[in-house]
Amino acid sequence: MQIQYKPKRNLLQTILHSEIMQGMAFTLKQLFAKPITRQYPQEKPEIKLGFRGQHALVRDQETGTSKCVACMRCVTVCPSRCIHIRFHEDEERGCRVVDSYDIEALRCVYCGFCEEVCPVNALVLTEIFEYAAYNRESIFFDQERLLANWDAFADMKGSAINGYINPFWRPRGIPERELTAAKRLDVPDEWTIEGQVVGNLVKRDQ
Amino acid sequence: MHVLILFIEILILFAIIMLHVAYATYFERKIIGHMQVRMGPMRVGWHGLLQPIADGIKSFFKEDVVPEQADVVTFRAAPIICLTAMLTSLAVIPFAKGWVLANINVGLLFIFAMSSLASYGVILAGWASNSKYTFLGGLRSMAQVISYEVAMGLSLVGVMMLSGTLNLTKIVEAQGGSFGGMYIFPQIIAFFVFFIAMLAETNRVPFDLPEAETELVSGYCTEYSGMRYAIFFMAEYIGMMVMSSIGTICFLGGWNGPFEVTIFPPFWFVVKVYAFMFVFIWIRATLPRYRYDQLMSIGWKVLIPLALGNIVLTGFIKAFTG
Repeated sequence: MQIQYKPKRNLLQTILHSEIMQGMAFTLKQLFAKPITRQYPQEKPEIKLGFRGQHALVRDQETGTSKCVACMRCVTVCPSRCIHIRFHEDEERGCRVVDSYDIEALRCVYCGFCEEVCPVNALVLTEIFEYAAYNRESIFFDQERLLANWDAFADMKGSAINGYINPFWRPRGIPERELTAAKRLDVPDEWTIEGQVVGNLVKRDQ
Repeated sequence: MHVLILFIEILILFAIIMLHVAYATYFERKIIGHMQVRMGPMRVGWHGLLQPIADGIKSFFKEDVVPEQADVVTFRAAPIICLTAMLTSLAVIPFAKGWVLANINVGLLFIFAMSSLASYGVILAGWASNSKYTFLGGLRSMAQVISYEVAMGLSLVGVMMLSGTLNLTKIVEAQGGSFGGMYIFPQIIAFFVFFIAMLAETNRVPFDLPEAETELVSGYCTEYSGMRYAIFFMAEYIGMMVMSSIGTICFLGGWNGPFEVTIFPPFWFVVKVYAFMFVFIWIRATLPRYRYDQLMSIGWKVLIPLALGNIVLTGFIKAFTG
């Protein structure tokens, strides 16, 4: 790599402080530029697709509780180990039943791996981001709180919640056959592989 | 009766200057904010207009901490010395024709004396706080003021030679009302030296080594809190205003302007002082701090020879043209 140095100042430039003047001209120009400040409580940030905010467990319309099947994938994948699940086996039906589902949101790093790995799309990081509290207990989410969070999010979205699909529920660059049935969602065209910038591994597989 | 009128005049001047100081901080924060593509204070009042008042009330009611190991008497006296010296120099500044508290014949010298005295406040503050940072800040301030006082004094000698007086009112009158009469044109070198020495004298960026918040926490006022800290800041801003006034009087023709503003005679004076203040702030928003040895070498190796050369040059021109 060749380093391009600035040419050395000549005497006239030194006397006239040409470089300082350049800087001064720049700051003067910025004085009339539009400030980029967002006046936060009045002006909310624009929330983009794939925003990762407060945790929620999707409330299943039919059963009225969460969709979680206690597969423990989210617990396994979580890099900060903030998800804790207790479950027992239901002998009669031959399935797992969730006893408790806790997320320590204060430890969470909001990577979104849990919602990506969930086979039944039970977990979601919603678009709600204002949930600061005065004590730790308020930000420790148990199953009830997580379901309530989903209700709050549904209220916020209004009717749009019915067709709501989180981008992380349908991971990009994975063939349809490798996904669980619940994750084979119909997503808008711009989310699919053609319109995306993808890595070499994905390109090779296509 | 005369004393009473003088006293009232002093009170009025004091109140106006304090108001200007308060709003100079607002002016500075707004301009630096916008230069950095931010907004500056926006919350208190419309566009943050009441911010200086809120700051004043806050610092007034804050706890006044005196460090245990400090030299208490000196510690308490230091900010007062700073502020008093700066305020005293306001007495000789002519804001308009006849608008001066003390029209003394050594006005310029008096201002030099007072601005040197203010640096005693800084040095004593540094010494009395009994802390490393304040001590370093105080030492730096001492070195800086000693070296730049010389350059500044010498730069104004040219002005004294041209006008033949130290009386600030007479200096303005010697320049006359015309645009070409301003001493900035015959004394451009002196103005350059004066300007840089002025920045160093008021401890402003790029010569704010006594404060140097990136290395010395807050320099000489590290151990101060509450109102005493605020007093140092008032002194700094009054110092800026005094220096801007000196620049206006000696180089830019004082209260004379393109046309007379009869309802408010100091109009052009205020405009020019605020132009100077704007440049102060503009420089602060742009430049980084000089290194300590660079500061010293600029002062002794560049500014003082330049100022001396300017005196010789002015002397020659004055001798040959009469």
